Amino acid sequence: MSRGINKAVIVGKLGRDPEIRYAANGNAVASISVATNETWKNRETGEAEQRTEWHRIVMFGRLAEIAQQYLKKGSQAYFEGRIKTNKWQDQSGADRYTTEIVANEMQMLDRRADSD
Amino acid sequence: MARGVNKAIIVGTLGQDPEVRYTANGGAVANISVATNETWRDKATGEAQERTEWHRIVMFGKLAEIAQQYLKKGSQAYFEGRIQTRKWQDQSGNDRYSTEIVANEMQMLGGRSGGAPMDSSSQPQGGQSQSRPATAETAPMDDGFDDIPF
Repeated sequence: MSRGINKAVIVGKLGRDPEIRYAANGNAVASISVATNETWKNRETGEAEQRTEWHRIVMFGRLAEIAQQYLKKGSQAYFEGRIKTNKWQDQSGADRYTTEIVANEMQMLDRRADSD
Repeated sequence: MARGVNKAIIVGTLGQDPEVRYTANGGAVANISVATNETWRDKATGEAQERTEWHRIVMFGKLAEIAQQYLKKGSQAYFEGRIQTRKWQDQSGNDRYSTEIVANEMQMLGGRSGGAPMDSSSQPQGGQSQSRPATAETAPMDDGFDDIPF
């Protein structure tokens, strides 16, 4: 059976500074929240409408450290990775699911403030 | 502010037949569940590992009708769309979130099944149906690369 393709591409802005933690083996894990906006014209009123979509993006290792060092709230960046849904149990033992993007590529889109 | 990019591309296999319903205005909404597999080699043991990821994909309108007509459990297809997380309340009023891919493009992959019935609903023994044997029509695309004269 073929493996298939599982790919997500996000270009958006961080809603807050990256949160970084370290696994027992010392590997960094960065979690960020990135907004993309969808706009459309309301067919009835003709007015422009907008909806913000928030994406949970996680990065590991060196990429996580780069994210911590260079990204902050308001930063714009490109992310590429795969979609992953984690299953967990809430306090009452019910199954819950959280979907995130595990990024394996990231490019900063901001101009460097310190080099201007 | 730039709108940004929100794009997902999935090539995978349907785990069940599409579920289609119709909104009050007659528009079709199709929900499907698509599996992709991730494989890697365990660094410690050297053994091949595999993990299946399930994606909820939703389609609207004509695309939903096409999905209902041509896709079924075991079908392989390409989907392109945006990632959307919906907020809802469970029975006890807690906020819950469901993430799905809203596809605006779909292409069927693999050969036509030739109308052979694959009635999954009449198989009470359950379990995963065996994958259909590959036919000549489902030969991998890269088989044709040898024939390209340049």
